[in-house]
Amino acid sequence: MTATTPTRHRDRPARPTSKLTFGGVLRSEVIKLRTLRSTWWCLAIMVVIIVGFGALFALSAGLFQAGEASTEQQQQIVAQSVSVGVVFGQLVASILGALVITGEFGTGMIRSTFATVPKRLPAVVAKLVVVALTLFVVSLVALVLTLLINSAILPSNDITVDFGDGALWRSVVGAAASIAFIGMIAFSLGAIIRNGAGAIAASVGLVFVLPIIVQIFTAFVDAAWVYTLAEIIPPNAAARLYDYVVSGQSAMALPSPDGALVLEPWSALLVLVGWVVVLFGLALALVKRRDV
Amino acid sequence: MIEARNLTKIYGDKRALDDATFTVRPGLVTGFLGPNGAGKSTTMRMIVGLDRPTSGSVTVNGKRFADHAAPLHEVGVLLDAKAVHTGRSAHDHLLAMGATHGIGKKRVDEVIALTGLESVAKKRVGGFSLGMGQRLGIAAALLGDPATVILDEPVNGLDPEGVVWVRTLARFLASEGRTVFLSSHLMSEMAQTADHLIVLGRGKVLADSPISDVISQASGDAVRVRSPHADHLVSLLQGPDVAVTAVEPGVVELRGITAERVGDLAASSGVVLHELTPLVRSLEDAYMTLTQDSVEYHAGGAARGSHVAPDTQTPQGATR
Repeated sequence: MTATTPTRHRDRPARPTSKLTFGGVLRSEVIKLRTLRSTWWCLAIMVVIIVGFGALFALSAGLFQAGEASTEQQQQIVAQSVSVGVVFGQLVASILGALVITGEFGTGMIRSTFATVPKRLPAVVAKLVVVALTLFVVSLVALVLTLLINSAILPSNDITVDFGDGALWRSVVGAAASIAFIGMIAFSLGAIIRNGAGAIAASVGLVFVLPIIVQIFTAFVDAAWVYTLAEIIPPNAAARLYDYVVSGQSAMALPSPDGALVLEPWSALLVLVGWVVVLFGLALALVKRRDV
Repeated sequence: MIEARNLTKIYGDKRALDDATFTVRPGLVTGFLGPNGAGKSTTMRMIVGLDRPTSGSVTVNGKRFADHAAPLHEVGVLLDAKAVHTGRSAHDHLLAMGATHGIGKKRVDEVIALTGLESVAKKRVGGFSLGMGQRLGIAAALLGDPATVILDEPVNGLDPEGVVWVRTLARFLASEGRTVFLSSHLMSEMAQTADHLIVLGRGKVLADSPISDVISQASGDAVRVRSPHADHLVSLLQGPDVAVTAVEPGVVELRGITAERVGDLAASSGVVLHELTPLVRSLEDAYMTLTQDSVEYHAGGAARGSHVAPDTQTPQGATR
């Protein structure tokens, strides 16, 4: 390792002309994401889980004895077979979402980032956009791959896949979006908490533990508002995004007494956007204010 | 050009920086000295907006750092060598930083070559030695070819060759008309590198002047006297302003009195002198003198400062 003495032959350095742009910050965040091994590990695990669970479900779909089922009910099974691994995909997404931001705080990289983008918010917004788009695209590819694989497996269980079914595709795209949303919520928690272990614990708790707590709660307080609460917490709202409803019959077994809110995919989307706006908004306010 | 005006930072009940006002000018290497906890790093972090001042302001070339259209071309900063994700390679780290400003692979390779990191550029930073981490931090600071370079403890962990290289680099950057602001705890290093010094102690600016002035101001008057009648001479010279240190039998160092006055007194009272030497102090001594009242973390019990520090009392019986 030898250092060279600088030998530029000029008295006054010509001032560079390039500027800080949001496009540049986006490119920077893409480079950051793809140059960490943890990104590739998380994405690979997510794809394997989605495709693997999906194929397992398709292989065991004979249990449904779907031969006499209506076309719609068969399509519901198809949609379920594609999205059965999505909850675990959300889990990995929440870990990746929390890691990409807490990794910067934990290693001190955030100081390099904020000394380069001193307004801070463009860097954090760009990072969220890049992570969310990556999660959406990768999980969408995994889900479509699962659909293709399952379309080859399911006929052996008397289920035919109708690729022309718009509701099926909406469910597939909704499943990918649900993963991106959970990733964004975990990212926001990561920016608020800053500590990697803490943020991952909070995100995993949000995806896996919170629904259980709320469910237990509904057993004690049998009021409509409790079921409404259960409906709008992020993991349950996310599940509604890829719900395949057949004549009012949800693929999910969430109990909904009279007067409780039941989200449609589009209203679920609005609820999730609301969660991201609130949590990411809080994250941005803290990021702007805090010393790093 | 960095201008700090009444810059203050309070953490809890601790004043990390207390009403500091100073200017760091272009074309010079400005050294930033102070004991641990004096507020140097806090100041540097506030310049680039990582810490928010409790009050006061600091600008770079007339604007808040964040308000510049191209911050990376305005200020390059090495705050600590650990401001890098350990899982990423040096090359990718610089590429990601540069991408924000449209700085490409060509410039990244330039600064990698400039800092001698070619052989490790593709390795993950987590395995870097402290010295390599410092070089990467300096590479990052130079990435945007900035008008102002801020380096916090740049020679920390560098080998002797690296230390000389940083000195040469700092002088070169200043000679190009850039503003160079560096902190160091190695006074001898600073003496060879800096043109101007800003000394901090407990968050306050203790000195802000050319390096030669800092030394002469802090030196005050000090002389070394060798005499077979040192004891007698010392008794003649006793006064509230004069501090006496015995160096060895027959040799004393005096502070607060000029060589002329010692010579006159010795002649008028017939004391033979074998040596009378005005002492010019090193920067290190000057620095110790300036900051000795503001050192936050003393080594337990050990004598601090230099042998000519003004508060050094004559050890009993040492001037036999």
